[in-house]
Amino acid sequence: MKLTERQRDALSELINIAFARTGAALSELTGHRVVLNPPEVAVYQTAELRGALARFVPGDVASIHQVFGGPVAGDALLLLNYAGAVHLTDLLTDGHQPSAYLDESAREVLTEVGNILLNACLGMFGNLLNVHVTFSVPRLHLETLDEVIASTTTDKTEMHYALVIYTAFQIRDSSVKGFLVIVLSVASLDRLIQEVDAWEAQQGK
Amino acid sequence: MTRAGSKTRMKDSSSKETLLNAAVLHWMHDLAAQGIVTTDGELNVVEWNHWMEEHTGKRAADVIGKNLLDLFPELRERRLDRHYKWALEGQVSVLSQALHRYLVAMPAVSGVHDHNQMQQAVRISPLSNEGVVIGTLTIIEDVTERVSREAELQNQIEERSRLLSSEKLARNEAERANRLKDEFLATVSHELRNPLNAILGWAHMLRLGKLTEANAERAVETIYRNAKSQAQLVADLLDVSRIISGKLRLDVRTVDLVGIINAAIDSIRPAADAKSIRLQAMLDPAAGLISGDADRLQQIVWNLLTNAVKFTPKAGRIQVKLQRVDSHVEITVSDSGVGISKEFLPHVFDRFRQADASTTRIHGGLGLGLSIVHQLVDLHGGSVSVQSEGEGKGATFTITLPFVGVVNNPKEPESVPAGNFDEVTTFDGLPSLHGLKVLVVDDEADTRELISEVLKEVGSEVITCRSVEEALIALEQHKPDILISDLGMPDEDGYSLISKIRALPSEQGGHIPAAALTAYARAEDRMRVLRSGFQFHLPKPVDSAELVTVVASLAGRAYNSQS
Repeated sequence: MKLTERQRDALSELINIAFARTGAALSELTGHRVVLNPPEVAVYQTAELRGALARFVPGDVASIHQVFGGPVAGDALLLLNYAGAVHLTDLLTDGHQPSAYLDESAREVLTEVGNILLNACLGMFGNLLNVHVTFSVPRLHLETLDEVIASTTTDKTEMHYALVIYTAFQIRDSSVKGFLVIVLSVASLDRLIQEVDAWEAQQGK
Repeated sequence: MTRAGSKTRMKDSSSKETLLNAAVLHWMHDLAAQGIVTTDGELNVVEWNHWMEEHTGKRAADVIGKNLLDLFPELRERRLDRHYKWALEGQVSVLSQALHRYLVAMPAVSGVHDHNQMQQAVRISPLSNEGVVIGTLTIIEDVTERVSREAELQNQIEERSRLLSSEKLARNEAERANRLKDEFLATVSHELRNPLNAILGWAHMLRLGKLTEANAERAVETIYRNAKSQAQLVADLLDVSRIISGKLRLDVRTVDLVGIINAAIDSIRPAADAKSIRLQAMLDPAAGLISGDADRLQQIVWNLLTNAVKFTPKAGRIQVKLQRVDSHVEITVSDSGVGISKEFLPHVFDRFRQADASTTRIHGGLGLGLSIVHQLVDLHGGSVSVQSEGEGKGATFTITLPFVGVVNNPKEPESVPAGNFDEVTTFDGLPSLHGLKVLVVDDEADTRELISEVLKEVGSEVITCRSVEEALIALEQHKPDILISDLGMPDEDGYSLISKIRALPSEQGGHIPAAALTAYARAEDRMRVLRSGFQFHLPKPVDSAELVTVVASLAGRAYNSQS
């Protein structure tokens, strides 16, 4: 499944609204201006996901994982490489000395950041589709990319797609890259794209 | 399976489920180690567990049925109420301790931490039934101790990394110092070996006895010159060692700089003449007197002049100026020599540093002269600086010394120190020691003979002994006027000799004036020598003029055991 240029633009615009909300929430929380770079969106089959992400997140990955259910179901993940995860927590919590590792408090901060971002995006999709989406409690994992992909709850027998949204957190003159990955069934993605098309048509009016 | 059986089992399982649910609720209420609060869809409190009662001091009976946001207005003030709004929309919220500290203010449980307020990690979730949110669930975890431990660990890591980096700095500094010392040691060996080659070579030729009279004279002259040069190197090394250990003491008197500078110029003139270097002196006789150690001041000027001669090419020019500037006296030594590069300029006065430390360098020396100048000027309360426009453009060293307005020492100004190092010592002008009986004690025949020769030259009668035992017999037999004794001797040393002598009555020589002769030239050695009963300390190698002067001086005063 490929997105048309217009669909990609429309989806990016919608996600950017969620990003703006996330940036505002993080700015308020931390007292520092936090901006998320405009999203770059691509769609992959889950089988292609590893190849698509491996280049950007080599080594250990910090993932904040939330499962969502309802008429549209799937997995939402925020992926950061390990060093990026440590750096982001330092930036958000005013760490005086750069940390070398993620302690429990740092993991919790990352979980909250992922939670804010995933809630904003999934909430926006829910509104768009006019469906009620339920969320699991977010969990943070430190593992390899393969383990992250294997941990998604989707039924492996069914064809699934992954919406991969690339962004970067801009905070205190620093930039931390991250990926938002939303794994959906074909049916869910179809439905989402239809709604995006409808929204885009409405915007054009 | 019968229908009745199936019904019974369903009933059983349903009642089991009810029982289990009740047990879970009981556990959540009474036993859970977290705060658990549930509300309905209007955020009215439905469940307030025992943990919450214990830590907030609010009893369940007092909060159940009341609106959570009304019970805790702070939630609205801190904009945390929106998490409940989102929960009612179906979203889960994570509230981290690092970003929120706490949800509901509670005092911290006493323990090993430095927080008054309990630090909390919170989850706020929607409670749904068939897709409809009917309430919220809040779980509060006390993370105070964990946060405290993490902070402690972070401090330890920071401390360790600070220590590591300061240790790294110290190691780098030590390595640099070591490298400099290695270079310096290489230079020392080289500089000591050079004159030694000449000495050994010519001494060997002399021993063979096949030299013509003219060549033999040349051999002696060369040996003498090289030995002097080695002695100077050793003296410099000892000076540096004394300066480093803070043992260098100045013999401060009121001194006349004009005389001191002239003496230094005179001693350097032969070297300057040999390179056709023009030496110009512009000394203001009214520059005045200063307070200082005449020997050391001359050493300062001499070092600067030696340096200038060394680095000035043939037919160059060296200018020495003495003038009074405000409240201080300024000595400048300028040359038209090779100059100093900008990079080396800040290191000119460093110990062991030479602009060219390579083994193929053109200019000899240890690189200690200027460092000694710097330290000696410092000890005099003055300062030394250097200017150079760069390589090939000459250099100017400026010394400023505080001017003494009032002569604060009644002693006569001392102009030229005795025993100037580079002067060829002659016995002319030295006091006659005619009729003086000197007892010389040394286990080394060469030294005995040398001292004996020098003293005989000025008219004294000399008795030589190889040991303490011999010396005590000679003292009794010959009744000498003066004793010169080595310190380091096998069996019994010089200290033992002097203590035995000082124990004798005056008529048996107990008060004989005595000088100790030793290669140990450190301040503590000198102190020990004087305390043990000697009046003088003569460092080896002995300068003939100094020896005669010391003996003459000893002859002028008898030992007074009361002093």
